[in-house]
Amino acid sequence: MLGILRRILDEAEKIIKKTPILKNFFPVFEATDDFFFATKKTTRFAPHFLDGIDIKRFMSFVIIALIPATIAGVYFFGLRVLLVIAISYAAGGLVEVAFSVGRKKPLYEGFLVTGLIFPLILPPTIPLWMVALGASFGVFFGKEVFGGTGRNIFNPALVGRVFLSLAFPEYFATMWQKPFWGGLGGFVKFMPDSITGATPLINFKSTQDVATWPCLLMGNLPGSIGETFRIGIIIGGVLLLLVKIAEWRISLTYIASAFIVSFIGHIFLPESFAPPLFQILSGGLLFGAFFMATDPVSGPLTHQGRWIYGILLGVLTILIRTFTGFVEGVMFAILLMNACAPLIDTIIINIKFKDIPQVEEA
Amino acid sequence: MNILTFKGGYRFKGFTGRAANKLITLDLPSTVRIPLRQGFGSTLTPKVGVGDGVKAGQIIAQDDKLVSSPIHSSVNGTVTKIEKVNYFKRSIDMVTIESDGDPGYEKLAGATKEWEKLPNQEIEELIYKSGASSLNREGIPTSFKSSIINSEEVVDLIIHGISSEAYNASLKTLLEGKNLYNFVEGIKILKKIMPKARIHLALNSRKKDIIESVKKLTSNIEGLKIHALYSKYPQGYDEVLIPTILGKKFPYGYSAANIGIVVLMLQTVLHVYDAVVRGKPLIERILAFCGQAFKENLHVKVRVGSSLADILKDRLFTHFKHRVVLNSLLTGVELADLSLPISREFSQIIAIRDDDLRRFLNFMRPGFHSDSYSNTFISQFVKVGKIATTNLRGDQRPCIQCGYCSEVCPVDIMPTVLDRYIKLGINETLMRFGIFNCIECNLCSYICPSKIHLANNLKDAKTKLIEAGCDNSLCILPKFNLKGLDDYKGVKNLR
Ligand code: SF4
Ligand code: SF4
Repeated sequence: MLGILRRILDEAEKIIKKTPILKNFFPVFEATDDFFFATKKTTRFAPHFLDGIDIKRFMSFVIIALIPATIAGVYFFGLRVLLVIAISYAAGGLVEVAFSVGRKKPLYEGFLVTGLIFPLILPPTIPLWMVALGASFGVFFGKEVFGGTGRNIFNPALVGRVFLSLAFPEYFATMWQKPFWGGLGGFVKFMPDSITGATPLINFKSTQDVATWPCLLMGNLPGSIGETFRIGIIIGGVLLLLVKIAEWRISLTYIASAFIVSFIGHIFLPESFAPPLFQILSGGLLFGAFFMATDPVSGPLTHQGRWIYGILLGVLTILIRTFTGFVEGVMFAILLMNACAPLIDTIIINIKFKDIPQVEEA
Repeated sequence: MNILTFKGGYRFKGFTGRAANKLITLDLPSTVRIPLRQGFGSTLTPKVGVGDGVKAGQIIAQDDKLVSSPIHSSVNGTVTKIEKVNYFKRSIDMVTIESDGDPGYEKLAGATKEWEKLPNQEIEELIYKSGASSLNREGIPTSFKSSIINSEEVVDLIIHGISSEAYNASLKTLLEGKNLYNFVEGIKILKKIMPKARIHLALNSRKKDIIESVKKLTSNIEGLKIHALYSKYPQGYDEVLIPTILGKKFPYGYSAANIGIVVLMLQTVLHVYDAVVRGKPLIERILAFCGQAFKENLHVKVRVGSSLADILKDRLFTHFKHRVVLNSLLTGVELADLSLPISREFSQIIAIRDDDLRRFLNFMRPGFHSDSYSNTFISQFVKVGKIATTNLRGDQRPCIQCGYCSEVCPVDIMPTVLDRYIKLGINETLMRFGIFNCIECNLCSYICPSKIHLANNLKDAKTKLIEAGCDNSLCILPKFNLKGLDDYKGVKNLR
């Protein structure tokens, strides 16, 4: 079995290397090959052995942690969700391939995560063409213009999502569907009937109604595809923190500071500040805290920077939710802080490594 | 007991192929090749010529003017060849001696059980003559220029038995039976020749029984302190050990002796005992054979100068390729040429699989045998023994800023930030970020999920900076009162 696959890949390699047009697509082949078979390279100097983890495994764990939220998304909003995910992967992947072919650089794994996170933060009614547009926009402007994986200042999934919500606000203000609930739910349906309801956050803005926390935890209320099933998000997120893929400092401070700010705000201005537990369990806060704010590439590097980053994220999220026209603050808070992350790092690093002491001449 | 430790570092746990508590003595080699530079000290010129008969333990090279210690023949026999050989990147004289098969050796004159009655000068002479004074990074100071400082200048003496590498010689084996008493006796000898020194004994916190028994035996030694330390890599490095135990700053780039501290390993103290009490020169070493490629993982006693090929013969598996590494998998050199002889500095020989198999869907496997800083492998929970191989375990990728490297760096610098600046150009900015603090422990390279050669890049940049005339003495010298600078040439032990 494996032998056959190996032989197919080896034959393909020969053909690709011989054919001039196909040669350009070598990065695509290389990525496929590396995906199936691990490297045969060995260390050339000390250290003679290396840690078992690599970027593929790093990224796979994020995907594993997203599985509960994804399955819940299908259950709540029908099999169409799978189509949305497929289109997101295809569109974003194309941009990625185009760039790696154009730059003659290898194809990296980063998109595997972006391609799944992006559909999960979209509303379930999103037209398919918009998914394709958003995914390619996000990858293009969120990542490739900065020079590809590792250089991107912003989280590409969020860039795509913010672009869509600014360009087509009507899809993000009213078109929220009631999720399936009971029985096999969305596993046997394509998409929910077009009964629209408001998300808990929109509800609060207009009527000050607060949804109960069991409902919020289960997620059978309108919301983005992957953001509603909060039990699954917490399970996946805690898994990520435990395996050290996501940084606990960021998630913890984000949630804690959102809690504290809304707690204080709710005491003084109960009409505009929603109660703290509701804040944390609604919208994309948990999803953002566990899966988007913790993206190492777009966040700060230093520990102190990560504390600051998390705290400011919480504060910003609640302030945006409370005092602006936007009902949801998570996206903007994270993007804004993404932009600040290099600055925070620079400041921390400059404080830590002051100038070399100058020697005075005797 | 209060356990001391440092910030950063990483614990290598549960590797298969650790040397068992078993010691065998290997057969006498038929020929030995003795490199004339062993341990701390300069290269010496031979005092014997081709055709000379030599005795085991006879000094064949000595120079009291250079910082060095004598070197002995390790067998009885005849000198057959003296040639220049490239030994660990240095061209040095190598004396070949054909053995006559007699295992005896010449005792050092003056060695006695009642060493306490000897004057310090004579004890120092014994240690110096035995060659033990050349061991470890600074050697043992005596009045014979075996180190860069004198024995009176030693303020602190640290003796450590911390096994922080993935593979270590077993403390139990080294201190087996009477050796434990000899070890304590050795400490007393060192105490006598370094009267002003406070003695610190650093032991692995998990070896509770050894700590207890050493404690009992040393209770009557004045000014001796026992510290229990975690076996966290790189705790055994002078640069980490001294701040941890003494709370002092280390003059990175210089040696501990420059601030009046001598750090010795456990085996060295045993050699001191052998020299002073039994009159045995340093002609034998205990080596640990570690790693999965060995058929049996044990400790062996071998004569210095035996060739690697001889001592490894029939001990390695042959059905897969292997790589043989000296002393440490993280920083050691590869022993590619097995015709080379072993020297005093050898303490572990590690042989691991040279793994160039392309494993199917490797990144998705549960990983019963993988070691990792992250907890993404099942080996964290199910202990079946981790296996070290030379495989890269992934493809090189751009830095994702995970921050692992800064977390583990024992000297609290940020390897990834330095790496980024190195790409922008090699200039003084690097010094501001502490490039000269890097102690080349290679932990950051080990840990990086993007498989970036951080430590190696840093090392290259350091070399280039020094070539360009920048060095760290400007930052170090005003802050420290360093001793023995004239003789200090940046000599480092083989790691
Ligand atoms: S090699 Fe240098 S930079 Fe890397 S962890 Fe060790 S001390 Fe830090
Ligand atoms: S460990 Fe590697 S990937 Fe992580 S921050 Fe350091 S250099 Fe970057």
